[in-house]
Amino acid sequence: MTLGPFLFLAPFALLALIALPIIWWILRATPPMPQEAALPSLRLLDGIEPSEETPAHTPWWILLLRLAAAALAIIGLSGPIYAPGTQADTGEEGPLLIVIDDGWASASRWGELVDAARANLETVSRDTPIHLLTTAPRQRAFDPATRTERPDMAGRLTSLDPSPWAVDRADALARLDASGLSPQRIFWASSGMNGPATQTEPQDTAPLSGEAFATALADRAPLTIYAAPPRAAMAITAFEVDATGALATLVRAQTASEADVFVSALSRDGTGIATASAQFEAGATTTGARFTLPPAALSRADRFRIAGVEGAGALWLWDSAARRPRIGLVSDGEATQPLLSDLHYVRQALAPFALIEEGALETLILSAPDAIIMTDIGEIPEAALGRLTDWVNGGGALIRFAGPRLAAQGDALTPTPLRRASRALGGALAWDEPQSLAPFPSASPFSGLQPPADAKVRQQVLARPAPDLDEKTWARLEDGSPLVTAAPLGSGMIVLYHVTAGPDWSDLPYAGVFVEMLRRSIAAGQSQTIANADGLYAPQLVLDGFGRLVPPSDLAAPISAADFPQTPPSEINPPGLYQGPAGSLALNAARDYVPAPITDWPAGVTLLGDAEARAFPLAGFALGLALFLIAIDLLVALATTGRLSGARTARAAALLLALSVPLATPIGQQQTAFAQVFSEEERANPALLMRFGYVLTGDSETDTRVEQGLSGLSRYLTERTSVAPAPPDAVDPETDPLELYPLIYLAVPETATPLSAQAIGKLNAYMRTGGALILDTRNGASVGGESDFSSLQSLLAGLDAPSLAPVPPDHVVTRSYYLIDGFQGRYSGRKLWIDASTITPGERRGDGVSSLFVGDADWVSAWASDDRGRALYGVDGGKLQREYALRFGINLAMHILTGNYKEDQVHLPTLLERLGQEDTRDNESEGRPEE
Amino acid sequence: MPADLPALRIEADALARRLPRLSAQTSASDAAHLGSAGRRRAGTGEDFWEYRRYNTEDDASRVDWRRSARGDALFVRETELETARSLYFWIDPHAGFNWRGGEDRPTKADRARILSMAIANLLSREGERVGLLGSGQPAAFGKRALERLYQMIASAADPDAGYDLIAPKRAGAAIIVSDFYDPIETWSARLAPVAAKCRDGILVAISDPTETDFPFKGRVRLSRPGTTLQRILGRAETVQTDYAAKYDANRDALSKLAGKLGWQLITHSTGEDALVAASQLHQRLSRLRETA
Repeated sequence: MTLGPFLFLAPFALLALIALPIIWWILRATPPMPQEAALPSLRLLDGIEPSEETPAHTPWWILLLRLAAAALAIIGLSGPIYAPGTQADTGEEGPLLIVIDDGWASASRWGELVDAARANLETVSRDTPIHLLTTAPRQRAFDPATRTERPDMAGRLTSLDPSPWAVDRADALARLDASGLSPQRIFWASSGMNGPATQTEPQDTAPLSGEAFATALADRAPLTIYAAPPRAAMAITAFEVDATGALATLVRAQTASEADVFVSALSRDGTGIATASAQFEAGATTTGARFTLPPAALSRADRFRIAGVEGAGALWLWDSAARRPRIGLVSDGEATQPLLSDLHYVRQALAPFALIEEGALETLILSAPDAIIMTDIGEIPEAALGRLTDWVNGGGALIRFAGPRLAAQGDALTPTPLRRASRALGGALAWDEPQSLAPFPSASPFSGLQPPADAKVRQQVLARPAPDLDEKTWARLEDGSPLVTAAPLGSGMIVLYHVTAGPDWSDLPYAGVFVEMLRRSIAAGQSQTIANADGLYAPQLVLDGFGRLVPPSDLAAPISAADFPQTPPSEINPPGLYQGPAGSLALNAARDYVPAPITDWPAGVTLLGDAEARAFPLAGFALGLALFLIAIDLLVALATTGRLSGARTARAAALLLALSVPLATPIGQQQTAFAQVFSEEERANPALLMRFGYVLTGDSETDTRVEQGLSGLSRYLTERTSVAPAPPDAVDPETDPLELYPLIYLAVPETATPLSAQAIGKLNAYMRTGGALILDTRNGASVGGESDFSSLQSLLAGLDAPSLAPVPPDHVVTRSYYLIDGFQGRYSGRKLWIDASTITPGERRGDGVSSLFVGDADWVSAWASDDRGRALYGVDGGKLQREYALRFGINLAMHILTGNYKEDQVHLPTLLERLGQEDTRDNESEGRPEE
Repeated sequence: MPADLPALRIEADALARRLPRLSAQTSASDAAHLGSAGRRRAGTGEDFWEYRRYNTEDDASRVDWRRSARGDALFVRETELETARSLYFWIDPHAGFNWRGGEDRPTKADRARILSMAIANLLSREGERVGLLGSGQPAAFGKRALERLYQMIASAADPDAGYDLIAPKRAGAAIIVSDFYDPIETWSARLAPVAAKCRDGILVAISDPTETDFPFKGRVRLSRPGTTLQRILGRAETVQTDYAAKYDANRDALSKLAGKLGWQLITHSTGEDALVAASQLHQRLSRLRETA
């Protein structure tokens, strides 16, 4: 039953409100219970009539209090719900239809959509038939004709997940019509976005706009809409790699304010490789996030994700076509004039976006690169020719450059037969001028590129005229003679540039378009532009609606290579990675997506805002308030009978107040264990409390970060171990007493000024007398490279560094508290270097704690947390890596504080078990060893 | 509930020790030395002492004709000089008297017992006869009499075994301990027969601080112990002034009653030290003896 914006689950309980006058009457007649007292001199009171006798009726305000409490209790029991989005009852309750957009665009606000739909469920009575219509087409979609009761529908809504493909509202409308359902009321939980306006959409079936869909629904029954356009960045719609990095194009739906977004590049196993940031200007729907990574690093990336945004659109999968190709460069090793050799120009052009291998032809064929580039090689050795042909047949792209040698003696592996001579243009004895490039033919893969106007071709080899020469020609000169020809061989491709790769014959290598031409030529071998009409691509890993990679369902079907570019994501072809004959292809959910929020809604529909779409059950609140009033009444009754003396009143009032506080404020005040209070004296004097120190570097950003990192580590130590360090101190090695700190951290900023001789001397003394100095260059981002400690040499000239060695995997620091197998910080996989003499047991002095720890994994950034324990900086590998970094920090602190005592026995059972597992892995029948 | 006799005795004895002996204050003249048991000579009294020959100065009415008829001489019947006085105690057995308003003070009845026992102890040592009204036992002197009195006082705490206010057979002085909350007319009627026998008397009105202060507030149901009398006050604090006036009027009427009887009145609150009441009582008794 509804009453304005309220509705009642148990409206008959409201009948009890009729009893209120009776309660009024009873309350009037019943004075409060008197206090009992004996008084032997009571006879004295004979004849005294008190001037103010007990009120025969309770005071009006007490009466009001009690009536209010009673009324609230009755209302509370009737189960009221405040649901401003409810329409008034129209008498008989007909079926309610819930339409929910479950395309990928809804994923980021999926919870709100489901909540809104569920809140709408609350507005109908228990046995109203409810029907569900989802707009994303699915084979096993809910039949809108299926009648469901309220509790079942709540469960069904909860178990609903968004689909990784887009909605098709026309289809949904058709399904609704087919079901023959005539709902009395319709609630549409809308994503707020128009249907997909992708370029792949066939033009004849334009998607039904949101407004049209709303109009169609409103024609059937009164319509209520909850629209939830995504707030944050929605999707990555394109991804381009160029010579200097990569650019992800991001779109968003709401353009009101500026917004910062971050895009993470993830490797195949989910480790973070890099993060790029981008900013949406106010009013802009698109922006680009640029990864300025070395191409080698970028090539490890497998997918890109908008940080913090759920949904299939927020993930961009990279297929092998987009990944960096591996190029083989045939060189014979002799390079007398390296800068003038042809190979140099090819190398420079391809280095940014390709992995280049150089070597003899035979070795290159064995490594099966994506493309092999040969510069002016006349005749391929007979032995290699066969295998090279096989390789091209298998999908390789052979790119050859002409030159004097090729002109002299060609071989069979050319796209078209060549004349045995080269043609010189514009020489002293020639009539014609050097030629420019003609616009690229439209059938050519180069089509779309702008031919350089100033690049002249001075000499070239000429193709013999042939009937199919024209279609083999990818680029030609202004006079029409072919410059680049190509011909498929098997599933591979042979491309011939009729000029040299160097500037001897033409200016082409100087031109920027040369790089792009080379890239497209390389791509030719991968069946991208040619020979793509055959082969099936089977789904290998697909996305779910939230953008998680899952195995494909049994409905997912392969896509033929020819259809692939035109295939929109759907249930049969879910977005994901498809494996085919020529590597993998990615079907991205939001490719070329143009966000189009629904702006116009048809008149006559009810639009709900965020707040209105929710329903607030008020029963608990009303009952609580009733109890509160009764408690007040109790106190008043006690006070009127004189049983409350002043102190007791105060105490009772305090108690009541304390009881009422949980009613008024939600619980959720988080207390951190680290919120220890240290006295001023303890703060000021480092000798009173154990704490970590860090050297002030003069770079405020670095200092802040180290301070945050060590604070975070101290906090986690306090939380997890019995070590409870005080907040860290900044120390100046020249003046402060270093010996008070068990651990001193020195993060080396990029702009490091060398430490003074005095500071170095004191640090030397600190290390000699048992201190532990941790040096972190924080430059472990260089992927795959060895650690670069050159900055330390200038900064710490004169530091008495022992000979360093990487920490072996069985060192005590890997098990001084946690069992860890790496020294992860913000960067993973970095090494930790310590005093070599502490590693070999024979040479140890002291308790085996190295006086110097050197690394570059930027641990402080991973440790850093604010005073509520929330992480402050991003870490490559996300939460898990941060946890590992913290474990390393705890281990390090434990190692420094406790020395090598953990080395022997403490983890023996676990270690034995680990050993046992490894031993029994070969012999499973024996089972695990006894513990 | 019978009172704890040993505990009462200890307190009463301690209180008696703190009081000066009555004899120390009075003059030691033989004539004024009252109450001694060894006054073995003829005088005014009730018990027979001796027959003696009729003297001419004797009034003819004093001739004991029954004795004279046995012989020729006229005899006069002499009674023993009776100077020892009897002191009768009475402690109100009402349940409202055996009541206290707070844990920090004794019940009014206990205070009355201690007072009575201490005074009885003193008087007994002076050779006075002590007794309990309504017990049926005459006043007597001596240690055993005192002990019996102690026991009777202790057992008088039981309202069922309580002793009524019955006039003594012999004249004496009465010490009536109560809270006197019944209407004055009631008390006047009750005391009249006693006053007829006892020329002297002392009313000891013991009250509890609760009764004097009337500290009740708010809604209170007041009940009188031992009775079904009860009363509900809506706001007790409003009747406080009226109550105080009534209380004072009660004490005034009591004082007037005592004056009418020729008696004296001592008021005492259990909130005060027992010594205060004891010394007052002691002083009045001393004065009684002096005037006797």
